[in-house]
Amino acid sequence: MSTLHSEKAKAFLQDEAYSQWHDNTFWSVRTKRDTMARGLPEWEQLREKASAIKRHTVTHLDEYLDQFATNAEKNGVIVHWAADAAEFNETVYGILKEHGVRKMVKSKSMLTEECEMNPYLEARGIEVVETDLGERIIQLKGQKPSHIVMPAIHLNHDDVGELFEEKGISDEKGNHDPTYLTYRARLSLRNEFLTADAGMTGANFGIAATGDIVVCTNEGNADMSTSCPKLHIAAIGLEKVIPDYECLAVFQRMLCRAGTGQPTTTYTSHFRKARAKDAEMHIILVDNGRSDWVGNPDHWEVLKCIRCGSCMNTCPVYRRSGGYSYSYFIPGPVGINLGMLRNPREHSGNVSACTLCLSCQSVCPVKIDLGDQVYKWRQELRALGAANKGKKALCDAMSLMFGSSGLYRTATAVSPLLNILPHGLVHSGVNPWAEGHEMMEFPKKPFHSIFKDLEKE
Amino acid sequence: MSKKEDILARYRAHVRERFDRPVLDDIQAITYPDPLAQFVRMSQTVGGRVVEAEGNINDLIRKLFPEAKEIASNLPEITIATRNPDTVESARALNGTDVGVIRGCFGVAENGCIWIPQTMKEKAVCFISENLVILLPKDRIVNNMHEAYRQVEFHDYGYGTFISGPSKTADIAQVLVMGAQAARSVTVVLV
Repeated sequence: MSTLHSEKAKAFLQDEAYSQWHDNTFWSVRTKRDTMARGLPEWEQLREKASAIKRHTVTHLDEYLDQFATNAEKNGVIVHWAADAAEFNETVYGILKEHGVRKMVKSKSMLTEECEMNPYLEARGIEVVETDLGERIIQLKGQKPSHIVMPAIHLNHDDVGELFEEKGISDEKGNHDPTYLTYRARLSLRNEFLTADAGMTGANFGIAATGDIVVCTNEGNADMSTSCPKLHIAAIGLEKVIPDYECLAVFQRMLCRAGTGQPTTTYTSHFRKARAKDAEMHIILVDNGRSDWVGNPDHWEVLKCIRCGSCMNTCPVYRRSGGYSYSYFIPGPVGINLGMLRNPREHSGNVSACTLCLSCQSVCPVKIDLGDQVYKWRQELRALGAANKGKKALCDAMSLMFGSSGLYRTATAVSPLLNILPHGLVHSGVNPWAEGHEMMEFPKKPFHSIFKDLEKE
Repeated sequence: MSKKEDILARYRAHVRERFDRPVLDDIQAITYPDPLAQFVRMSQTVGGRVVEAEGNINDLIRKLFPEAKEIASNLPEITIATRNPDTVESARALNGTDVGVIRGCFGVAENGCIWIPQTMKEKAVCFISENLVILLPKDRIVNNMHEAYRQVEFHDYGYGTFISGPSKTADIAQVLVMGAQAARSVTVVLV
């Protein structure tokens, strides 16, 4: 009864030492998050407020987007709107072409991953250089991120060391010390910053009241990307706009504490205008499904997500299966839900990647009911034609049995016979419940018989 | 209809219940008996160094960075500056700066953030310098980000940033390394 996710997870778990390291690493990030949360007596109040602000904002986006765009334009920023990934990519390319850009440096943006912008631009002759170290590593490796905040978490220092030797970034062969490798990447990226014709950033927040975009990084790469070139393009999903600084304060305090267990990111940068008189700043507001998702009665609250990654860090399934086991590019609890909104037929395999422990929704800083939503998606699998055939047959059989008292009584009466089946037969693979653990023992006397006997007494 | 109107119309057609804005002024945000002491502690936690100003600021910077050759600043009191971010030919000319000296507006006790509105032509000086020195008035420390965002002001340059410690990354095998793409060290000088 395995799904694509469980098959890939099985492969991930083959390397026991690595999967243990992966599990421990993310659990330690979760523990750091707990230390941060406990350090603020108002933490739970902040979560309530953050959730309420997002509920309000996500259901008033028409007003806030208009306000945001109007204020940004007042600041001299050129605002574009893109209905989908194709329009977004065309818009970016149009701006770059107009400015004769050959090389663009960029900071991390899940939106550009979502729209598969890099391959689109590269096919048109534009060199795109990722400048977040993790993103740069996987770009050089030709891979996709395995975590939204720690994109290269699936590689160890030897993997990175060998990659840097191959690409000529490091010259001391065999030196795989992370400090050395980071320094070599710094030198290489410094050259890219100085020679790029354009800089691109994502945005953690757009501020309606002022027209600012706010970008949070630890490396300072968003700031470096926009300090030399005369062209800045910011890519922002519709749901990233919030009302004002009073609201921003709540999210600034939570984003990093929840995500990486730090008190703040090193840089919380506000971009309000182009950096010089002869420079340009463009903001591209991207819909790509969001205006439809807001109408989904069970799942619209996923739009509250601030992409901190805390649901992945805590998820026992993510920790033990890794980002590449999921079919959608964002893994973990929020990724399961975003993937289902994007394309339920393609990504339904991910809904099995949940034990319904609900750890995700108990840490989510904006209180998205992530686990409950996975449960709801599971109820919809049949209608989508994505239900597992074996499970479907079993469920039908069980409905039949539980719907008829005669069948039920017969079944419970004969069930102890299963106890005496040979172990090898029970664990032969026909019985998915015996995979990886021992079968229960059926009681000699079913509960309803005991109950009836007691009634007689 | 324009693309904007198309998107907003589709949104309006789909949005269901609309929720009210919550009250935010009842947030019981953390405060500290000694915000400056907390600010210093947090600055160190995030990898920064805090020193008290003593004597001439130029002598202090020399003492802190005896090897420094290129010092960039547009602050009038930094007379040892060899480069000025207001007058350099381009931002690229600031590459190779050993020490950049800038002024911070106020500090935040809860997380060591310092508000730096852009006050120089090339903001690159805040990031491209190997070492960053931030002059900060020690009587301007707020408790938390709620207080901070009530005070944030911009200059004519439409850029400002909170900086808390040096540039850092743990992207290689989760090992924390100071000095990713921007300043490798941050020294806060309390004035």
